[in-house]
Amino acid sequence: MNSMKQFSKMFSAQIKMMFREKQVWFWNIFFPVILMVLFMVIFGGGSSESFKAKIAIVDSQPNAASAMLLEQLQQIPVFKWESEQPVTLEAGNRLVEKQDIDALIILPETESATTIKLVVNKADEQGATTQAVSGILDQFIQQANWTAAGATPTFSLAKTSISSGADDLNYADFLLTGMIGLSVAQGGLFGMVGLVEMRRNGLMKRLRMTPARMGLYGLAGMLVKLLLGIVQIIILTLIGVFGFGANLHINIFSLVIAFLAGGLVFNAMGYLFSSFSKSIEAYMGMSNIASMLMMFLSGVFFPLESLPTWLQPVTQMLPLTYFVEGMRDGLIYNSGIASGAFWAGIGVMVIWGVVSFLVGSQVYKAKSVSDAQ
Amino acid sequence: MPVLEVRHLRKSFGAVNAVEDISFTVEAGEVFTIIGPNGAGKTTTLEMIEGLQVPDSGQIEFGELSWVKNSEQIKTSIGVQPQSSALFDLLTVEENLDLFATFYPKSKPASEVLEMINLTDQRNKQVRKLSGGQKQRLAIGLAMINDPILIFLDEPTTGLDPQARRNIWDIILKLKALGKTTILTTHYMEEAEKLSDRVCIVDQGKVVTLDTPAALIDRLTQEREVRLTFIDGAEAAIETEKIAQTQSAVVRTSRDGDALQLWTTQPEETLYEVFGFTKGRGFRVEQISIREMSLEDVFIAFTGKEWRD
Repeated sequence: MNSMKQFSKMFSAQIKMMFREKQVWFWNIFFPVILMVLFMVIFGGGSSESFKAKIAIVDSQPNAASAMLLEQLQQIPVFKWESEQPVTLEAGNRLVEKQDIDALIILPETESATTIKLVVNKADEQGATTQAVSGILDQFIQQANWTAAGATPTFSLAKTSISSGADDLNYADFLLTGMIGLSVAQGGLFGMVGLVEMRRNGLMKRLRMTPARMGLYGLAGMLVKLLLGIVQIIILTLIGVFGFGANLHINIFSLVIAFLAGGLVFNAMGYLFSSFSKSIEAYMGMSNIASMLMMFLSGVFFPLESLPTWLQPVTQMLPLTYFVEGMRDGLIYNSGIASGAFWAGIGVMVIWGVVSFLVGSQVYKAKSVSDAQ
Repeated sequence: MPVLEVRHLRKSFGAVNAVEDISFTVEAGEVFTIIGPNGAGKTTTLEMIEGLQVPDSGQIEFGELSWVKNSEQIKTSIGVQPQSSALFDLLTVEENLDLFATFYPKSKPASEVLEMINLTDQRNKQVRKLSGGQKQRLAIGLAMINDPILIFLDEPTTGLDPQARRNIWDIILKLKALGKTTILTTHYMEEAEKLSDRVCIVDQGKVVTLDTPAALIDRLTQEREVRLTFIDGAEAAIETEKIAQTQSAVVRTSRDGDALQLWTTQPEETLYEVFGFTKGRGFRVEQISIREMSLEDVFIAFTGKEWRD
């Protein structure tokens, strides 16, 4: 029997089946793209250049000092003025109440008074904008104090930011790689639905009555799924780079290794779920739970550091954490395969993959005996 | 020469004895039909023969081959159409045939099979767009792609309309003409009677009887039901009934108005006497019929169960 011919037929048959199934297109291509675009639009715009605080100023008793402060405040680029001219105290308070402005700044009422007041809405008190405005104002006042005292500051702060890899890492890069990780993972977790269907409609039994090599069939299916993963990576990357200005620094070795490990682990998990599932609904349920849990606990959308500390051990057990990290290593950090952390992550994925596969096979074996009844 | 020999098969699931003792031999070139009520053990028997289940005891031999030693060889020389037409829905008719063809060391050309199952025009259609009858024909096509010696057809016509059923019968008869051996199960007595060389009735895990359809019907009690109706009304029927009752071959009679029913072990003899009487008396007979015994009667006689159709 010609195994090569059998394998290539099985492969081409499964490719055809995959591309003819609209569900595959929706869940593996369209859905991740929509999700990524949404996240990019909602969270991607929050960089410092576009930060603006809308303010108004009350200058109830204009005098030389307040005129000077007013002029300098107008130089601060992030403040967007409600009106060119100062407003009255009542009008200003109303604007705050209605949250038409982020903050109201009240200049000293007399030349000798020294307090500048900041009024914000109670609802915004803990907000990032309030913190920022108050910080900017603090600095401004300090500057004013020094000027008033005729001193020059001894220390000054020069700000630059560093990312773990390349200089120009931004949220678009982070989210893009997270989404790639997530969609490849989902492709695997949900990808065994065909297997459940084959058992339900008797095709599995039918194939067992032929001399077909089921191992070859599985291998061909695995290859088809890897191919789908590559398509996902390419499409999401193109959208991320050209639509949202993501910057890639690709290290092909770590990318390929992480991708293969991810392909193994999530297909194996899908296989495990399929072994437990009598119906497609049951399978989809299990895959959904796993995918939802990992989606939020594996640093897909937000850095892991933003999660509470007590959750950290959980995230460190999940394969998606390492897969997403691996994708970032390979796509944006340009970190090579020399790092120990990289291999530790691959190790965790491989363990998950092998254990899932072995348990799945055992369940299938036990089932094929009881199915026969 | 037997293609398949089954001896004392036995299989139980927990406390349930699905198959208690089944033995039969299938000869080369015949259509061998297994019928039986629900839960009689048909499916379990078939699955054991097809190698999906291991019997608790008993032997299954395909000529010299057995599942324990020659499973690969058996798989290449049998073809199975399972009850649920298990097909790749997203592949076309021809792609299904091509894929299955690669599973076997030798196979028939797809075009030849398409011709046999009359799906040449639908060859490029995806399976999900086929009708029930077309799917069933494709399932049979897949069972013959490896040019098997022995073909299993498990209820191939269930749920099909009369025309689609007849199309399947044509295929079965074509297979027979090619010298293939077929093991068939069916819900339709008419089908079993029309297609089978031999019928095996199974009940409660055992073979109840096994023979050609004609022999099985013959073996039934010799009483035949004769119906007569008279133009001259009830009086003629009453008179004739009296005469009939004097005949030793007539077991019992029954009358409803001008309609008379006789059960006789010698219909020819009885009718001769009855007509002699009616002719003499000038009674005019309107209708006469002798009810044919069918496999259904055989089934009821052997299993004591009504046939569901």
